[in-house]
Amino acid sequence: MSADDDISGPDADRAAAGEFVLGLLPADQRAAFASRLASEPKLRAEVASWQRHFSSLDAAFTPAPAPAGNWGRIETRLFGAARGRVSLWNSVPFWRSFSGVSAAAAIMAIAINLASPPPDPNMFAAQLVAALHAEGSTVSFVALYNPQTGQVRLTALSGDAVPDKDYELWAIEGDKAPMSMGVIPVTARSDMRLTPQVLAGFGPGTVLAITLEQKGGSPTGAPQGPIVAKGLATPV
Amino acid sequence: MAETVAEIADLLARCALRDRKAFRTLYERTSAKLYGVTLRILHDRAEADEALQEVYVKIWQRADRYVPGSYSPISWLVAVARNHALDVLRARRPAGEDIDGALEIADSGPTPEEAAAGKGERARIDDCLGRLEPDRAEAVRGAYLDGFSYEELAARHGVPLNTMRTWLRRSLLRLRECLSP
Repeated sequence: MSADDDISGPDADRAAAGEFVLGLLPADQRAAFASRLASEPKLRAEVASWQRHFSSLDAAFTPAPAPAGNWGRIETRLFGAARGRVSLWNSVPFWRSFSGVSAAAAIMAIAINLASPPPDPNMFAAQLVAALHAEGSTVSFVALYNPQTGQVRLTALSGDAVPDKDYELWAIEGDKAPMSMGVIPVTARSDMRLTPQVLAGFGPGTVLAITLEQKGGSPTGAPQGPIVAKGLATPV
Repeated sequence: MAETVAEIADLLARCALRDRKAFRTLYERTSAKLYGVTLRILHDRAEADEALQEVYVKIWQRADRYVPGSYSPISWLVAVARNHALDVLRARRPAGEDIDGALEIADSGPTPEEAAAGKGERARIDDCLGRLEPDRAEAVRGAYLDGFSYEELAARHGVPLNTMRTWLRRSLLRLRECLSP
């Protein structure tokens, strides 16, 4: 709050951080304060400290049984009307819905392609490319399949390493369960050799997906983490 | 209690991995507490019900933002519920705005030193509130627990708006001094 009291300097920020946590700042000041948080670690620490202190008042919120129908409504809002536990991972229409390769990503893929040594025309004809990205995610990759080497070259376009997590690449062919192609580095280019199992059905229409898994990859052999990028293998 | 905290932290981590069963268990364990929050701030059952649903939608969508060790997972959940209820209140008020402040606060974790100091400082706020004049301590509690605005606090305490604002800001500075000497 500006200036109808004599609080100024660092004290003004300290008081404002407390007001922010309490929810007392008027709309415009609240927005201005929130936008400062992104770039001012000291201010964030101040807010975090107030939040922690005030949270010891939480005991004063008396629990009350939530209304009986609420859980069902939450489930419907999040997962849709069908409550049958059909995993999206096993849903072919779900995967087929990611059919578009965006123009920009396709252009990038071709640029990468041109940067590599002049290809054998036959080989070029058989190459497959997939642009892997997902809405709301910063992770994106381009995958290029070279049938001569049986390898998929994966190039990270964006994304950050996550502490204690690994990115894992999956191939989904037809209505079969996702097959792991291994853990991938997010900051480098990597070549993944296709296992005979993956290779057997690999071709146009194969979906490649990247999930965020625990360190070392999913222990069960099936994806467990959120999908951060996916794309459909398409001939170039 | 320590077991409950570890269990809730584990459930949240599994929600971040899209485990729906864990989400259901989390709801069963925590919904009464969070309903207590939305009900106290919103005073209206229909609004509190609706807010509670939205709170769990947010929890599911953003469970990965909970950083273990920075806050107790229950405090994090309460912060999500409280901030959402405040957003609903603001939208209801004439000069409403609906900036979603729900997770900004909870996102900024403490530095390691702060986390180390955390345990001791948590218990201190009651003591420090006790050192303020009773009506000022009550105003701070009313803002936190009931989501009162400056206008409502001023009306409750029978003082002009600017006086309430000055009171409260000074009280915050005294609190802060007491909390981090």
